[in-house]
Amino acid sequence: MASHYEAPIRKPLIIGEKTYHDISVDVAAPVEGKANKLWWIAFSISLTAFLWGVGAIIYTIGTGIGVWGLNKTVGWAWDITNFVWWVGIGHAGTLISAVLLLFRQKWRMGINRSAEAMTIFSVIQAGLFPMIHMGRVWNANWVLPIPNQFGSLWVNFNSPLLWDVFAISTYLSVSLVFWWTGLLPDFAMLRDRAIKPFQKKIYGLLSFGWSGRVKDWNRFEEVSLVLAGLATPLVLSVHTIVSFDFATSVIPGWHTTIFPPYFVAGAIFSGFAMVNTLLIIMRKVSNLEAYITIHHIELMNIVIMITGSIVGVAYITELFIAWYSGVEYEQYAFLNRATGPYWWAYLLMMTCNVFSPQLMWSKRLRTSIMFSFIISIVVNVGMWFERFVIIVTSLHRDYLPSSWVMFSPTFVDIGIFIGTIGFFFLLFLLYARTFPVIAQAEVKTILKSSGENYKKLRDGNDH
Amino acid sequence: METTTKKIHALYNDDDVLLLAIKEIREKDFIIDEVFTPFPVHGLEKALGIPHTRLAYAAFIYGVIGFIFAIWMMNYIMIVDWPMNIGGKPNFSFYQNMPAFVPVLFEMTVFFAAHLMVITFYFRSRLWPFKEAENPDPRTTDDMFLVEITVQNNENELQTLLKKTGAVEIKLIEN
Amino acid sequence: MASDKKYWKSVEELKAHSPLIEKLRNDEFVEEIPIDEFLGNKESLDNSSTTRRDFLKYVGFTTVAASVAACEGPVIKSIPYIVKPEQIVPGVADFYATTMADGYDFASILVKVREGRPIKIEPNKLAGGTTNARVQASVLSLYDNNRLKAPKSYDKTIEWNEVDTQILAKLNELKSLGKEIVFLTGTLASPSTAQLILKFKEKFGNVKHVIYDAVSESGAVEAFETMYGFSALPNYDFSKAATVVSFGADFLGDWQGGGFEADFAKTRVPKEGKMSRHIQFEANLTLTGANADKRILAKPSEQAFALINLYNKLTGNSLPSKKTSVDAEVEKAAKQLKSSGNKAVVICGINDKNLQLITLAINNFLKSEVIDVVAAKNIRQGKETEVNNLLADMNAGKVGALLMYQTNPVYTMPQTANFAELLKKVPMSVSFAMNDHETASVSNFALATPHYLESWGDISVKKGTYSLMQPTINPLFNTNQFQDCLLRWMGSEETYYDYLKKYWESNILAGTSWAQTLHNGFFNQTAKPTTSLKSIDLNLAAQEINKTFISKEFELCFYTKTGMGDGQMANNPWLQEFPDPITRTSWDNYVTISEPDSKKLGLQNFNVSNGALNGSKVNLTVNKTVLKEVPVYIQPGQAVGTIGLALGYGRSKGMKEEMMIGVNAYSLYNNFKNYQEVSIEKVDGIHEFACVQLHHTMMGRDIIKETTLATFNDTTINPSETWNKTTKVSMDHKMVPASSISLWNDHDKTIGHHFNLSIDLNACTGCGSCVIACHAENNVPVVGKAEVRNSRDMHWLRIDRYYSSDMNAKIADEMEIGVLDKFNQMEIPSNNPEVAFQPVMCQHCNNAPCETVCPVAATTHGHQGQNQMTYNRCVGTRYCANNCPYKVRRFNWFKYKENDEFDFHMNDDLGRMVLNPDVVVRSRGVMEKCSMCIQKTQLSILQAKNEGRIVADNEFQTACSSACSSNAIVFGDVNDKTSQVAKLVQDQRAYHLLDAIGTKPNVVYHVKVRNTNES
Repeated sequence: MASHYEAPIRKPLIIGEKTYHDISVDVAAPVEGKANKLWWIAFSISLTAFLWGVGAIIYTIGTGIGVWGLNKTVGWAWDITNFVWWVGIGHAGTLISAVLLLFRQKWRMGINRSAEAMTIFSVIQAGLFPMIHMGRVWNANWVLPIPNQFGSLWVNFNSPLLWDVFAISTYLSVSLVFWWTGLLPDFAMLRDRAIKPFQKKIYGLLSFGWSGRVKDWNRFEEVSLVLAGLATPLVLSVHTIVSFDFATSVIPGWHTTIFPPYFVAGAIFSGFAMVNTLLIIMRKVSNLEAYITIHHIELMNIVIMITGSIVGVAYITELFIAWYSGVEYEQYAFLNRATGPYWWAYLLMMTCNVFSPQLMWSKRLRTSIMFSFIISIVVNVGMWFERFVIIVTSLHRDYLPSSWVMFSPTFVDIGIFIGTIGFFFLLFLLYARTFPVIAQAEVKTILKSSGENYKKLRDGNDH
Repeated sequence: METTTKKIHALYNDDDVLLLAIKEIREKDFIIDEVFTPFPVHGLEKALGIPHTRLAYAAFIYGVIGFIFAIWMMNYIMIVDWPMNIGGKPNFSFYQNMPAFVPVLFEMTVFFAAHLMVITFYFRSRLWPFKEAENPDPRTTDDMFLVEITVQNNENELQTLLKKTGAVEIKLIEN
Repeated sequence: MASDKKYWKSVEELKAHSPLIEKLRNDEFVEEIPIDEFLGNKESLDNSSTTRRDFLKYVGFTTVAASVAACEGPVIKSIPYIVKPEQIVPGVADFYATTMADGYDFASILVKVREGRPIKIEPNKLAGGTTNARVQASVLSLYDNNRLKAPKSYDKTIEWNEVDTQILAKLNELKSLGKEIVFLTGTLASPSTAQLILKFKEKFGNVKHVIYDAVSESGAVEAFETMYGFSALPNYDFSKAATVVSFGADFLGDWQGGGFEADFAKTRVPKEGKMSRHIQFEANLTLTGANADKRILAKPSEQAFALINLYNKLTGNSLPSKKTSVDAEVEKAAKQLKSSGNKAVVICGINDKNLQLITLAINNFLKSEVIDVVAAKNIRQGKETEVNNLLADMNAGKVGALLMYQTNPVYTMPQTANFAELLKKVPMSVSFAMNDHETASVSNFALATPHYLESWGDISVKKGTYSLMQPTINPLFNTNQFQDCLLRWMGSEETYYDYLKKYWESNILAGTSWAQTLHNGFFNQTAKPTTSLKSIDLNLAAQEINKTFISKEFELCFYTKTGMGDGQMANNPWLQEFPDPITRTSWDNYVTISEPDSKKLGLQNFNVSNGALNGSKVNLTVNKTVLKEVPVYIQPGQAVGTIGLALGYGRSKGMKEEMMIGVNAYSLYNNFKNYQEVSIEKVDGIHEFACVQLHHTMMGRDIIKETTLATFNDTTINPSETWNKTTKVSMDHKMVPASSISLWNDHDKTIGHHFNLSIDLNACTGCGSCVIACHAENNVPVVGKAEVRNSRDMHWLRIDRYYSSDMNAKIADEMEIGVLDKFNQMEIPSNNPEVAFQPVMCQHCNNAPCETVCPVAATTHGHQGQNQMTYNRCVGTRYCANNCPYKVRRFNWFKYKENDEFDFHMNDDLGRMVLNPDVVVRSRGVMEKCSMCIQKTQLSILQAKNEGRIVADNEFQTACSSACSSNAIVFGDVNDKTSQVAKLVQDQRAYHLLDAIGTKPNVVYHVKVRNTNES
C-alpha cells in the first residue's frame, strides 16, 4: 500500500513474522508472566543500595551537612556532581521521544517508552540532591514563590538555583504527562487482555478508561506532536539552565560562555549511553529482540559517537579560550585541572568521554552488543567525572591561594550516590515488570511499513 | 438520533481494509456512529469526515497565558512588592533586570501550555482515573477495528454491504 | 531576649550552692507526689471506683493533654528583678574602665557590660591602652567552667573561715619556729599589694617575697639594675625611631611585656616619603621578623657576637668577640644606625644579662631618644638569682610556708628544678589560683581567687603611670582575693577595697577625686629621674659572653605564641582556635625547623587527601631532659641549625580534655635561658596538624600589592600604571579601569551613610587581636581541632599570611622555565622569605556575586553598603560561599551550640554568658559571615538620633577596627567627606582586592611599602 511505502534501503525495525496480535502478546508477556530469578537478584541488590542511601540521607539530615567531605572552600562536590549527572542522563528520554518524533524517526518507537521512563526516574534522583544538599532541608519550600505569613518575603529570580527549581519541576512534570499520555492506549490493551480481575481493575484505573475512538486518536496524535514541540526546547533549556549555575558565577573554570551547548551535548551523550545500558539488558531479559534490534543499538551508538566528539571539542575549546583570554586566574584554573592534584580525574574524563566513543567509527564495534554495553558504562563513568572535575577542581583553587584546599568524600557522600543508583534501578525494574515497555500502539502503526515480513512482501512485488 | 436502539458492530482485522470499507459505507449514506481502533489509522478521520482537532490552538493560548503570568509574577515579586538591592542589580526596573528573568519566563510558558493542553485533552476525550472504558469489544485495543452503525430498518442491506467490505464479524446489538 | 532570662536564672545558680536551684535541678516535682498514699494501700485501691473505662478515659485525656502541651515551645522560667539596680537598663551596655593584669599581660581596658555581664574587652584609648589577642579573649576565661569554684584543702572543699583558722594557726606556728614564709608570685606591679606584703612582713617577721616570671626577662631586669640602680625594664617609644636593629627581640610579640606595636606602626606608614627601617637578626621567624624590612638569619650564638661586633663597629672599641657569618650585615646595620643618629635604637631578645648590658651601652652611645630609662617598666620583675635561691632554700627545708599567687611553678619550672618534689618539703604550701592547675592541685591549700573582672586592684605598668582594676560583676564563685586573705590573716577588719582606696588617696592621688580616677581607670604622674647611670666594665661582660655562647649543632629557641602567651589561658577555646599568625596553625605547639635541616634529619610535612597537614615527630633532648613526640613543622625563614618551640602548651590539670594539647616546653626551659643546646632524634608516628592555611605563596598574583620606599617616593611615575596597577579593559576601544564599567545603572550610594573599611598593609603587624575581637563581638563558634583540620574554621576575619617565593614570572621568562615548572616552583616559599599579612573579611561588594545567586534572597545589599546575611531566611545551599571570590563565607556544618560534640563555651550556661545579646547565635545549616558589625553602627546612629546630632567620625567602629592597636584597620562613613576613611579611600596607595572581577568592594587595602633603602 502506498501509505505504507518505505524505501527498501531502510532496515526493518521489527524483525520476524509479526502480526498486530503478536505485538500485543510480546509487549504484554513481561507483565503477565512471572518474574525470573535474574529479576529478583537485580531487584534485591538495588533495594539494598536504595536502603543504604536512605540511611545515609537520614544521617545527613539528622546531624548536618558536616558529615559530608565539604569544607569552607569546596561548598559543593558530590551532591551537585550527582545532581548534574542524573539530570544529564534524563535528557535522552525526552530527546528520543520528542526530537526524533519531530524528525519522524520511526526507530524511536521501539525505545521511546523505556527512554522516557528512564528520564523520569533519573530526574527524580536528580531532584533529590538540590533538596538534601540544603543545610536546612526542612525549609526547602522557601525556594518556591508562594505567599507566606511575612507577606513580602519572596524568592530571588536572579539566582540560577531558582531557575533550576522552575526548569527541573517543569521538565519532570511535562515529561511525566507526555509519558503517561503515551501509555494510555497501551494500558488499555493490557486492561482488555487481563484475565485476573485485580489486574483488570488496576490497568482500568491506569488507562483512564481509554477506548480508542477515532476522535481520541486524532487528539492523541495532536497532543503528542505539540508536546514534542514543547519538550524539545524544554529539554535543551533544562541543561542550559543547569549549566548557568556555573556559567553565571565568577569562579574561574565555572565562568564559561560555552557551557550551555557543552552541557546539553554532554547530557545527550550520557543519556543515550544509559539508554543503551538499560535496553541491552531489557531486550534480552524480556526477550524483545524483535523490537529493540541491533539496528536500534547501532543508531544509538552513532549518536553517542557524535555527541562524544562535540563534548571533546568543548573540552579543547575551554583550554584554548583559557589560554587566549590572557586572564591569569582562568589560565591557572585549567592548567590546574589538567596537571594539578586532580589530574587523574581529568585524565579519566578525557579517556572515557573523548577517546572511547571514537571507537564507534568501526562498524564491527558499534554493532557488537557487548562492546556497546561496555562503552555505555564507560561513558557514564566519564560523564560523572566531567562534573566532578568542573565543580571540585574549579573550587578548590580559586582566587586567593590562602583558601586553597582539597576535597575527599566521606562514606556518607558515597552512600547517598550509591543509594540513588539503587533507587533508579529499583524504579526501572518495577517498571519493566508492570508497564508496557514498548509503545505497542505506535509500533503497530509502523508494522506494515517497517515490519520485516511486510517489507519482504512489498519488495517482492516491486520486481 | 433516532429512537431506535439497534446497532451493528462490524469488526475488521486490517486497517487498510477498514479504510476502504469506511469509504464504501459512507457512499451508501450509512451513518457511522463511531470507530474504535487499536492504534491511530492515518486518514481515518478524513474518511469519516471528522474535523481536525483544535487542541494546538488551545495550547498556544495557554502558553501565552503562562508567559503573561510569569511577567506579572516576577514584576510583582522583584520590582513592585519588595524591591531589594541584590548584587547591585537594577531592581528598580523590570526591563533592565529582565535578562535574569528569561529562563523562568520560558519555563512558565512551557509549563502552562503543556499541562493545560493535556488536561483539556483528557476532559474532551473523557479520560480520567476510574473512568469506565467504552470500547464495545476488548479486541479493539489489540488487533481489531470496530465500526459502529445505527440501524434504520435497513439491516439486511447493511449486513451484506459490510460482509462485502470484508468485515470478519458482524454483531447486531439490541437493547 | 532569651539570653537575659538565662542570665537571671544563672545568677540564682551562681549563689554557690543555692538550695532553690539545687532543688529545682534535682527533683522534677518540687512537692512530693502522693503516689504511695494512692497505690500504697490495697483496699482503697480496690474499692476505688476507677473502672477500666475510666482508666482509658484518663489515659486518653493525659495523652491529648501531653501532646497539646508539647506543641508549645520550650519555656525558660526567669526570676525577675525584685529591686531593679538603677545602673542596669536592659538592652543598654555599660562600659567600665579597668585594668587587666595576670602577671603576663597588662592592659588598660574598657569592659562592655550587658545586663550585668561583662561580654567584651575594648582598649581604654584614653589611658593609651592597647589590647592583644589574649587581652581580648580574657573575658571568656571569666566564664570558664573549669574554674576553682571554692577553696580546697587536700582535694576537699572547705569554708573560708576554716581556711583562715587553719592557715593562721600554721603561720603563727611557723613564726614561732622562726621558719621562713615565702610569697612566690608572678609580676604583680601593684603598689598597694607591694605595701600590703611589707605590712605582712612586719606582722610575721621572717617573710620573703620572690617574684618569678614564667617567661623570664631576668637578664634585662638585672642588666638595667646594674646600670641604673633600680630594678625595672627600659621603656621604648618606637614612634621616635628611624632605625631599629633588633637581635632576636620579638618586640611586636611578647618581648619585655610587649605592647610596642602601636608606636612602631606610626613610623611604618610612609609620611612625607619617610618611614622607619627595621633590621632583624633572628633564628625563629617571629611576628617582628615577618614585619622587618630586612631579616637576617642567625643562631643565638651568632647573634651574641654580632651584637658585640656591632658595638665595636659603632664605638671603635674592640671588646673581645668572634667573627660571625653575618658581619657584613652588621656593618651595614652600623652604617644605618649612625645615619639616623639619636633616632636609632638597638634591642636584644636574648635573656642574658651581659648581652643586655651591651645593648644598653650601645643605646647610650647612640644617645637614643627611643629608649626611656626614666619612666621604666615594672611589668617584668622576676630575677633568676632570687628564684634559684628560693629553690635552694626549699631544698634545704628552710621554707616553712610557700604562698603562691599568679604563678604555676609546677607547670612552668623546668624538669631539672623538680619543683613538685621541693614543694613536698614545704610544711605548708598555699596556692591562690583561678583553676585547679598543676600547682594548686598539689598544694596543701588551693584558694579560689576571682578573675580580674571580679577583683579590685591597682597596677603601675611603668613609673608614674597608675591604673585601677575594678570588679565589673559580682564574684561568680565562692572566691576571695589574695589581698583580702592577707588582710584577714593580718587580723585587719578592712577589706582590700578600703585598703586600696586609702592607699591611693594617701600615696598616689594627691587630692584628685578617687571616683573620677576610678571612672577613668588610670592616673598619670610625670616620672622624675631617680638615679644616674653607673659605669660598668663591658670587657668583663664581653668575656662572659665569649664563655657562655658556644655555637652548637642545634640551638633551641623558645618563643611564646601570639595566641597562647605563657599558657595560663590555655583553657580558653578562642585562643586555642586562634591560628598562629606565622604558621597559621591552631590547637598545637610544635618544633619549627628549617627546610634543609628537615631534609638532613629525614623529617617531613605532607598533606592528606582532604588537604590537611601531617608532620613527623621528634624527641628533643636538652641536657638529659627528654621531651617526647614533638610534632615537626617545616618553617620557611627558620635559621639553619636552630629550631623553635613555643612555651605555654601541654597543660594537664584543671581544664577541658580538648585543651590539654601540645607539649610542655617549659620542661626544657633550663635556668631561664630562651636558647638551649638541643639534640633531635626522629621517632615513628605522624602528627595531625590543624592548619587553616595550606598554601603559602601568592602564586605571582596581585593579591598583596608591594613596592619599595624608593619607588613609592618616585614622583615621576604614575602609581596606577606601576606599583598600584589597576586592571584595565577595553571599552569602546578605550582602555578603562575594569571596576569602572557595569552592565547596568548603579544604585545611588550618596544618600545616608555608606560604610567603608580601610586596611593599611603597612601598619598591620598580623597580631590578630582583631580576629579575637570579632570572635567575641559576633558570637563566632569554636569548632575544635578536628573540624579546623577539615578546613571548617569559622573565623569571620582571617589574617592571610603569604611568603615570597624564589620563583616569579620575571625569573621564569629570563631562565625560560616552562609554565608548569614555574607554577610548581612558585608554590615553594623561599628559605628566608619576605612575609606579608592581609586581614580578609567580607569585602561587602557593591556588586556582590554571593547576593545574586541566593535562591531565597537571604543575602542582599544594605543601603549603607553592607552585604547583609539574613540567617533565619538562609536554607543553606552554600552557593554564595562557592561564588565568593574572597572565600569569606562560613557555613554552620553542625550545631555548634549546646552540643556535646563541640564541648566548648557555647555548650554550658556559664560559657554562654559571654555571648553578645545583640548578635544572634546561628543555627545549624546556615551561612554566616562578617556583617561590618552592623549592630554597632546601628547603635551609634540611633544614639546620635536620640541626642539629635550628627554621628561623629570616630563613633563608627567595628570590633576589628577598635581592637586594632596599630590603627591599620579604619572604619567609617565615606559619605562624610571629612571622615578619616573617606581620605584613606582616596589615598594613592588604596586598592581593592581582585578589582578585575568588578565586585566593587567596600573594603579597601593600602599597598605595602618596604623600606629597602640602605644607607
